[in-house]
Amino acid sequence: MVQERRILYEHLDVPDINTFDVFRQYDGYKRFEKAINEYQPDDISKMVMDSGLKGRGGAGFSTGLKWSFVPKDIKPCYLCCNADESEPGTFSNRYVLERNPHLLIEGILICCYAMGIETTYVYIRGEFTLGKKMLDAAIAEASAKGYLGKNILGTGLDVDIYTHPGAGAYICGEETGLIESLEGKRGQPRNKPPFPAVEGVFKKPTVVQNVETLCNLPFIVGNGVEWYTQMGPTYGDARFDPPKPDPNTGTKLYCISGDVNKPGVYELDLGLTCTELIEVAGGLRGEEVKAVIPGGSSAPILTHYELDTRLDFTSLTLAKSMLGSGGIIVMNETRNIVDCLLNIMKFYAHESCGQCTPCRWGTPWVRDIVQRIADGKGRQSTITRPKFGIAENGRWGDTGETEEIYEDLDLLESVANNIANVDTMTWNTICVFGIAVSWPAVSYMRKFRPEFEACIREGKLVTLSVAEATMKPEENYAYQQRIIPREME
Amino acid sequence: MAFIKLNDLEVEVEDGTNVVEAARQHGIEVPHYCYHPGLSRPANCRMCLVEPYVFFPPAGAIVPDRQLATGCTTVLRTAPPDRKLDGKYDFIVQTDSPRVKKAREDILEFLLVHHPLDCPVCDQAGECDLQDFSYRHGHDKSRYLEVKNVPPKKDLGPDVLLYSTRCIVCTRCIRFCDEVSGSGELGLIHRGSHDEIDIPRNHGGAPLQLLDNKLAGNVVDICPVGALISKDFLFKSRPWFMKKTNSICAGCSVGCNITLEYKEDGVYRLKPRFHGEINQHWMCDDGRLGYHYVNSDDRLQLPLKRVDGELTPTHWADALALITEKLLGTEAADVAPEDIVVIGSAQGTNEDNYVLQQFAHDVLKTTQVGLFGQLPGEEHKFPQFTIEADKNPNTAGARTILGAANGNVVLEGDALWERVAGAKVVYLVSGGPERPLEAAESAALEKVDFLVVQDVLPSDVTQLADVVLPGTTFAEKDGTFTNSTGWVQRIRKTIDAPGEARVDWEITQQLAKQLGGEMNYHFAGEIALAIAENVPGYGEATHQKVGDEGVKLT
Repeated sequence: MVQERRILYEHLDVPDINTFDVFRQYDGYKRFEKAINEYQPDDISKMVMDSGLKGRGGAGFSTGLKWSFVPKDIKPCYLCCNADESEPGTFSNRYVLERNPHLLIEGILICCYAMGIETTYVYIRGEFTLGKKMLDAAIAEASAKGYLGKNILGTGLDVDIYTHPGAGAYICGEETGLIESLEGKRGQPRNKPPFPAVEGVFKKPTVVQNVETLCNLPFIVGNGVEWYTQMGPTYGDARFDPPKPDPNTGTKLYCISGDVNKPGVYELDLGLTCTELIEVAGGLRGEEVKAVIPGGSSAPILTHYELDTRLDFTSLTLAKSMLGSGGIIVMNETRNIVDCLLNIMKFYAHESCGQCTPCRWGTPWVRDIVQRIADGKGRQSTITRPKFGIAENGRWGDTGETEEIYEDLDLLESVANNIANVDTMTWNTICVFGIAVSWPAVSYMRKFRPEFEACIREGKLVTLSVAEATMKPEENYAYQQRIIPREME
Repeated sequence: MAFIKLNDLEVEVEDGTNVVEAARQHGIEVPHYCYHPGLSRPANCRMCLVEPYVFFPPAGAIVPDRQLATGCTTVLRTAPPDRKLDGKYDFIVQTDSPRVKKAREDILEFLLVHHPLDCPVCDQAGECDLQDFSYRHGHDKSRYLEVKNVPPKKDLGPDVLLYSTRCIVCTRCIRFCDEVSGSGELGLIHRGSHDEIDIPRNHGGAPLQLLDNKLAGNVVDICPVGALISKDFLFKSRPWFMKKTNSICAGCSVGCNITLEYKEDGVYRLKPRFHGEINQHWMCDDGRLGYHYVNSDDRLQLPLKRVDGELTPTHWADALALITEKLLGTEAADVAPEDIVVIGSAQGTNEDNYVLQQFAHDVLKTTQVGLFGQLPGEEHKFPQFTIEADKNPNTAGARTILGAANGNVVLEGDALWERVAGAKVVYLVSGGPERPLEAAESAALEKVDFLVVQDVLPSDVTQLADVVLPGTTFAEKDGTFTNSTGWVQRIRKTIDAPGEARVDWEITQQLAKQLGGEMNYHFAGEIALAIAENVPGYGEATHQKVGDEGVKLT
């Protein structure tokens, strides 16, 4: 049985840990003091780079690399802490904000010291009223104790933190959408490049980091890179010769919800499998696993054949899915995948900011198609066509059999792929919202095609058994394509 | 200069040019909606996607970039020597690869999802980017079965209607109001597929602010589809039935470059034409909607003479004979050259005024030359545009040219009216929209024994005249205007003058001939050559050299 390894959440349950004094008893701000006393700013950046810390917000981009893109000669430079935790299925940052806000402040201080930043904006999701209240109180307390404001601890370091509540838009969690919203404009993502690291808040270089990423910094500084890298696997990127190390180090706050007995946030090492995770969360509620969403609602779904997939950034990327924000949603045999997709598509059609063409008019279109299928009005053609699959020669091609044509499924796949192509991982949209829409749409439809077909054929919402509903691995192109990464020696 | 590979072409472009412009310079179309060279670039229409090439280290080769890039925001610059692609190119980009073509088709499909196909009743049809690009780059059929959004039609301001159904939310109009006019009336309301352009409204839907700034008409021009429509032009004509001629706006001394669109029965609309140093891409609504006097039914069509105190139509020979009689006949002994005042018009072209000053100097031998024009209006300054107070297109040119043979003495304002009050014969050229007279001005003109007026509309001035000669407007003649910053620019004849109205310089020349002058110009360009020869500073301002871009006075 896998055990939780609580680092970020270690003292979450300590009474009054949100106050400065109690936090101080549990090494609070000692890591920051260690940073400013023992290390130069560049040392911290190097430690973060060496630790292999990847951004926990969703994209999984190397934090150290992101910091290295920030021009050193342009000041002021800003830090934006992304606390707009809006991905459905994700709720880990909320607990940090509500219960241990000083940990976030310490992480911000270390980042600011490393990058020479004097101003930090914490963009908090509007619904997190308690989180904002706690963080504001903690900021006031830290300022009173001399850990924030001008000339911190007499070192000449100035850091100010401002909290900014969002107004409830999903897209304001996207880094440039967040910046636009912070600047007081309509929350619409910017076209990239330039990336925020070069031109962000108020056209100045900006580091945008998730709450969880920043909360990792005190532990990297406090316990050292060596300690940090022993957690989680490091894979070899086989595109390079010799393989380039691809670290998935540290712990991750997995938000497990859905059909498990003990849903909640679990802090575990990266690299555990789905099966292990469900076990940690008290086991499955129901007979069998039908599907698992591994990283928030925008991540491609995993079938029960793929439960051995390790839940880390690299493995999931190679399995044509993503870890995203770590919002894991487990579904048992009673769930109807068409209905699930409809629910998700309704959300995305509602949350599309409407800035760029494919997303503005593609997302409601996809929703309408799924709605039609769920209503039993999906279209099926009267003719058949050659079936593609594993052919006689053992390769992908014409199998010699025929299959029925479900026009709406083809349309769904085509429209979703026109917003963002999930096979080539390219999007025609400004931001990654496009792929967040087409990923679930296409993956649900491809992996659970029998259920979609049944809905169209029967003219009503039909829930098939797990075995019937899932495409067999040998028929599932995505499954065929999946790569299991190898750990470095 | 950046050396780039554009499709199969190897071309050099200025540093800082974007791919859309670079392609346009070399005759390649990159379709786009949200991009406008005069506005910021949000890259939201996604129509101008192109395929850049990058060096991919693991493969050790130059490959198409994983993502397509928007051509409007991809700026071409000279790369440092170690970053050159293939050893020589600063950038490699494909605008017609299969991926790009597929992306364009897909975007067009999305654009047409909620777009009503009401082209038969849409004003924009024929000059619509959505039509053109769909035809050139799009699918031939729609796969959309769902219900289309039907947002309401809105009245945004005095001259602008919004057909929201046709809107493709490129936000050009919003950016125009934010950046060029600086008035910021427009914005987006709602979200996602329910995005609508709107003006500020209260909860009841009543407008709090209308789109009524003086540049508002430009949003209609920059709208790539038929969403923003000018009330002035609504349902007037199909674009393809109109002829288009490059001209200059006669509304004020800025001298905005325009395209004059007309049919045989009149001028239909004016649209701005790009000039980098004068009006950029824009023009003001005063100029845009100020053409109506050209089409007016009240236009003077026949010469008029005063019979028993009433202005009565007559024919040209009679009208001209009357004037000749006055200046050469029995009464002429009383009229010394100093008693004649010749007043040119700031509404007239340089050519009109040149012939007029020659008439005054060589034929009438008078040194009393004046300048008349529209009353000054208000100056309006916008972040990227200025409407000048002087409402005449050619004050600078008329002033220089009228004074060219006269020691540069041109009577204006009070000095002019003082002189007019003591004159026996006044030959006044007006023109342009109806110009009211102020009390002092009409008092001075009333004292004149014999007043000849050349004008296009009945006005206070013609009411006082003894002989009225029908002239022409800027739309009916060739010539040049000199704007306030010294640009000499061409206007061109588009429609025919109404009735027997004649080009102003021809009238003057005819009169000069009858009075024994030696003047024999055949067309305006010939006069421009004479101006170039005789007027200092105008050496380069021949019609050939002025062309469409204009010539800056030296």
